[in-house]
Amino acid sequence: MRSSSPAVYPSLSQRLFSVWYRHMRVYTKNLVSNGLPPFLEPLLFLMGVGLGLGKYIDQKWDGLPYIDFLGTGLLVTAAMFTAAYECTFGTFIRLEFEKVYDGMLAAPITVNNLIVGEILWAGTKGLFFTFAVMCVLIAFGIIQLPAGLLTPFVGFLTGMMFATLSLWITSFVKTINHFNFYLTGVISPMFFFSGVVFPTDDLPQNIRFVAEILPLTHAVRLSRAVCSSDYTPALLGSVAYIAVFTPVMGMLAIRRLRNRLVQ
Amino acid sequence: MKIISVQHVNKAFGRVQAVCDLSFEVEEGICFGLLGPNGAGKTTMMKMLYGRSHRDLGDGGVIRVFGFDPARDELAIKYLSGVVPQENNLDDELNVFQNLMIYSKFYGLSGATARERIKGLLEFLELSEKAGARIRELSGGMQRRLVIARALLNNPRLLILDEPTTGLDPQVRHLIWDKLRRLRAQGTTILLTTHYMEEAFQICDTILIMDKGRRVLEDDPRDLLRSNIEAYVLEVPIANGAPAIEESGLPAGVRLDRAEGTQRFYADDIDRLKSVVDKLSGDQYFIRQSTLEDVFLKATGRALNEKQ
Repeated sequence: MRSSSPAVYPSLSQRLFSVWYRHMRVYTKNLVSNGLPPFLEPLLFLMGVGLGLGKYIDQKWDGLPYIDFLGTGLLVTAAMFTAAYECTFGTFIRLEFEKVYDGMLAAPITVNNLIVGEILWAGTKGLFFTFAVMCVLIAFGIIQLPAGLLTPFVGFLTGMMFATLSLWITSFVKTINHFNFYLTGVISPMFFFSGVVFPTDDLPQNIRFVAEILPLTHAVRLSRAVCSSDYTPALLGSVAYIAVFTPVMGMLAIRRLRNRLVQ
Repeated sequence: MKIISVQHVNKAFGRVQAVCDLSFEVEEGICFGLLGPNGAGKTTMMKMLYGRSHRDLGDGGVIRVFGFDPARDELAIKYLSGVVPQENNLDDELNVFQNLMIYSKFYGLSGATARERIKGLLEFLELSEKAGARIRELSGGMQRRLVIARALLNNPRLLILDEPTTGLDPQVRHLIWDKLRRLRAQGTTILLTTHYMEEAFQICDTILIMDKGRRVLEDDPRDLLRSNIEAYVLEVPIANGAPAIEESGLPAGVRLDRAEGTQRFYADDIDRLKSVVDKLSGDQYFIRQSTLEDVFLKATGRALNEKQ
């Protein structure tokens, strides 16, 4: 018995949009508490560390004053952190505690649509968080217009990249406390060793390759290149890294999460 | 027309056989109930219908919903169906109207169509006054009705409900039954799981009793009652651990079912039960008509399984 009528259901773009729309509506419901911190955090960081500590640093870092060096790195770490939290704690809570996915998967979307929608949403949050940092950097006169206006797109790519990694991690996690290992053991070290607070060239020779493996390193390079409109052939390596990492890690995450969502 | 066709379906989780060689069919426009104790495989069977769980493949088992195989065409099935999961999973951050609005996108409804349909559904489920209320302000019964409204957003031809009234008070249960009857009268096919016998008796046209993943009985609820259990029951509590009457002293045509704390005597002829009553010393007894619950307990046994 095969159906004589053709299968009818919303298009792929409509299905992805509906997942994204759900997250957007829930996030923007608390606009002040969700929307203000992304602006305050880089402000505090630049004032405390950049101005305060930076005063004692005369040296130029990759040709930039310290506050500029740090600021252009913070553009993408903001995207990294928001995507990492969204796709660990956020995803896990939707999966295990709120049972949000039970409802969504009863609607005409597939598990693939659901996960890709999560990734797109995390990318959007990355875009917004980078946008917030960008506004602060423009106010500080650290990045130039109009080149700086491209940085939120780097934030989008960074957000998606860390969404895939975080979803893959989430697929292994059985209790919510295990995320501390990932956030403290993987994400936080990346903040320090990916060329955000000091250049990767200053790492000891024999562990410098580690920085090359870390995804944040490549996001930071892309961010600095966009800010200074200084595109070198070496940058292609970072672009290629992001272009390969995101879909490969995304597929691994989808495969593992599908086994968890569909028994 | 058959809306659902399930033939020889198996589902194992590791070494646990959740569904075992199960077959049934659901005709268009009827209300079909899957009954069974916890762990009987009801929810698993239900989830296999819309692709949330996959049947064991390669053993000849077949599932068709609207003619589609959920393993291949889950989207087509879900577009034509509404699903009410066992747990309410509403978005606490959003109000009643917004909860429905975000789901209208999953069906590709335009804003105007969605608003109109949401208005109608809130009216149907008597939630109109709560359109702007936060989810936390809703009672359990209102939340359940809202989840049902959400499942109805795309005017489904098939409504699948997993324990729609578990944990709700009698007023809300009767309201939900009334709504489900009206949906069926409009031509919606309904498949529900429940372990309330009364619920099944009230709204189902056909009941399938499952136990340990297998079909135990399937029939019209009245026929199930007629052909599987005696008409009357006499219940006598066991006082001080001593049964009131020994099995050997029973008149012909009376069956004894001994449960913890209570003896139940079943008979088609109420007079025979009265003759048993005459032998009782105390007045602690109760004669009633048999219910589906008696059929259910007879069919699935009184002993608890590890999931209960």
